Amino acid sequence: MKRYLLGRLLRTIPVVFGVVTVVFLLIHLLPGDPVDIMLGESAVPAQKEELRRELHLDRPILSQYASYLSGIPRGDLGVSFRSREPVLGEIARRIPATVLLAATSITVAVLVALPLGVLAAMRRGKAADYLSGFAAMLSLSIPNFLLGPLLVLLFSVQLGLLPVSGYGAGRPLVLPAVTLGTGMAALLTRMVRATLLEELRKEYVTAAIARGLPYRSAVARHALRNALVPVVTALGLSFGAVLAGSVITETIFSWPGIGRLLIQAIDARDYPLVQGCVLVIALSTVAVNLATDILCARLDPRIRYE
Amino acid sequence: MIGCYHLHMLIPRHGRALLLLFMLSGCAQKLPIDEGRMVIALPGAPVNVDPRVATDAYGEQILQMTHASLVGRDGAGDPLPDLAERWESPDPLTHIFHLRPGLRFHDGRPLTSADVRYTFTWILDGANRSPHRGLYRHLAAIETPDARTVVFRLSEPFAPFLSTMVRGIVPAGSPARGYAPPVGAGPYRIDDLSPDGEAVLSAYDGYYGGPPAIRSVTVKFVPDSNVRFLELKMGSVNFTLNGVDPDLLPAASLAGRLVVEEGPGGNVTYLGFNLRDRALSDARVRRAIALAIDRETIVRTIWKERADIVSSILPPGSWAYDPDLPAVPFAPARARRLLDEAGFPDPDGDGPLPRLRLTYKTSQNEVRRRVATVIQDQLRQIGISVDIQSLEWGTFFSDIKKGNFQMYSLTWVGISDPDIFHHAFHSRSAPPDGANRGGYSDFEVDRLTESARREPSREKRREMYRRVQRILARDLPVFPLWAGRNLLVRDRGLTGFRLTPNESYGPVREMRIVPDPATPSTGGPR
Repeated sequence: MKRYLLGRLLRTIPVVFGVVTVVFLLIHLLPGDPVDIMLGESAVPAQKEELRRELHLDRPILSQYASYLSGIPRGDLGVSFRSREPVLGEIARRIPATVLLAATSITVAVLVALPLGVLAAMRRGKAADYLSGFAAMLSLSIPNFLLGPLLVLLFSVQLGLLPVSGYGAGRPLVLPAVTLGTGMAALLTRMVRATLLEELRKEYVTAAIARGLPYRSAVARHALRNALVPVVTALGLSFGAVLAGSVITETIFSWPGIGRLLIQAIDARDYPLVQGCVLVIALSTVAVNLATDILCARLDPRIRYE
Repeated sequence: MIGCYHLHMLIPRHGRALLLLFMLSGCAQKLPIDEGRMVIALPGAPVNVDPRVATDAYGEQILQMTHASLVGRDGAGDPLPDLAERWESPDPLTHIFHLRPGLRFHDGRPLTSADVRYTFTWILDGANRSPHRGLYRHLAAIETPDARTVVFRLSEPFAPFLSTMVRGIVPAGSPARGYAPPVGAGPYRIDDLSPDGEAVLSAYDGYYGGPPAIRSVTVKFVPDSNVRFLELKMGSVNFTLNGVDPDLLPAASLAGRLVVEEGPGGNVTYLGFNLRDRALSDARVRRAIALAIDRETIVRTIWKERADIVSSILPPGSWAYDPDLPAVPFAPARARRLLDEAGFPDPDGDGPLPRLRLTYKTSQNEVRRRVATVIQDQLRQIGISVDIQSLEWGTFFSDIKKGNFQMYSLTWVGISDPDIFHHAFHSRSAPPDGANRGGYSDFEVDRLTESARREPSREKRREMYRRVQRILARDLPVFPLWAGRNLLVRDRGLTGFRLTPNESYGPVREMRIVPDPATPSTGGPR
């Protein structure tokens, strides 16, 4: 197990290195000068040069890149051009909001997808199956930027049950989490249904029922457990999609997370902040996928750590 | 046998009771205005709330409520007393300000001339990297003969100097600490500031102008315009200035609790031309384009009449605006004749071939893209084929500054002094030294804008700038389109705000909450 974990951790290094390099190059290749954006139009050229020197933007791009890379192991991600705060602090301030939103939306997705998927599989070809399929397709077809305002119109404006926007662990969290989790819930519902149907056709389920085990128990204790392995894998893989979706959802609901910070950083050509946000997103995606693999092995003993 | 599950089985009875309680609790909360609080929605979060370094509009708007300056500015751009009760200029190089007696910062410290000197010295110190340093490059020395007198000595005459004194004063020794802004002496103090969340302000009883009537103001940062509107409709936001799209205003007017007010705006949108381009270097082509654009139709259909057609990049409310400038009419027939004269005849009559092909660059803002589409159609009527390039802001602005364009559209925001003409049209003001992006050059404009920035007499400056505006109206290096009107959407229960062309939030201190028996504000959802 330790060897496996160490191997996986070592393999994350080239992934993170690749992400950092690509983002560094892309953000520097984009047109738009951070010094212009920071100083505005009233600044004189000498003042711009001075700031360019202070931000080390006058150095060759390779030197800037080497300097950035050398800071990462020390946890030094630089200083934000726009706020003059350390990038790590800027990101750390937003992490709780994004983690809360992502975790809640994934929880919502799982809580919706599991019962609906099981129901659809067990009642295959019946109304419940068709209804869950229709709901899943509908949810997948509505983009977040449309679903969010629609939910606000219904639950905030018409019914008056929830706030339109804001930040908090209670009522303000409901609509953003549902907006972000709906697409994933739809995907997982269809996946749970498909994998469970596949398991139900296998001989061990038939054998279990033939031995007198009630159908529900055969599903819950045997088939569902095996069906969950690919579902958990899909859940891990879709974590990246949740973070990507949070960019839009956080903007709609004024949620102070990393997604919104990233958009602001790109607009301001705040190179260190963009790089820092992407690095944190990449690291968390890698970490979640590692955790997913470990969970899969625990769900299915046939999977071995190699 | 296939098991049958019902969703209600998944939620136990006590869970359902909790859910119901949770949902009902939404109806019991009081609205901010019922608690004597006002909530303002800004379209974005401030990057910085320190007057020495803040450059973004949202930071400036919060500072207008929290930090007092030596002077303020009225709607015409004229200086008003703020911390300084009076000032004089014995010669063009000396400006003396006299502070009001008994001034104090929010933390109780007395505000003296030393704090004024510290604020501007801090900005001028290169080590502090203040983006405002360039504004004060004419400052040679700051003297403080006594606690209530500050003397600014300039290295050369600079007539717009007073307009640069609209800068919040901070206590001597205040470090720049990112999200912990230094205290000020404005009508409100900052109690809490959460990046991307909200700023909580409370009334400062020691404000020299008397404590504000509304004791608590929350500034909420809501980037989505639809959400801003819905928050207003629900009563969880009570005030937004230019924060509701023109398309939503009819709905806002219909909402019982909301009132829409509008006033002249100071931000002028214009069409820029690249005078280095072979076709656009000919003033007849530029005038033909101007004559072919039906601004009234655009203002009516896209701006819903919420914009004023202008003839100068200076806002009509400015003291230097020339009201007698000739307006460019909508005259497509004249435009076609001008193109013929300029050597761009119609190659095939009613056929599809254009006289001229041009690119038009704009940002990805939805309203700007719609404007670009209408202009494209209107120019097609006179035989000019326009290729619209809608670019991400950083890319768009970078192209404009590099001169990589034929035509573009932008808005001048926050013009406080007619010295803008030197910045935008002097032949030595090409980027990066200024904003003469189209490469315009005129000897008379150069001479007048240089003289005007050294001329202490307001009347003489006004005459010089009027002459500049007439030359620009003749040459059309840019075509001024319209000035968007300022639109305030507020709760009916709020009163006392004065709209100013420069979108100032300063008048928030004069606002009151009044009971409105016609529209009960309680009981609604938030």
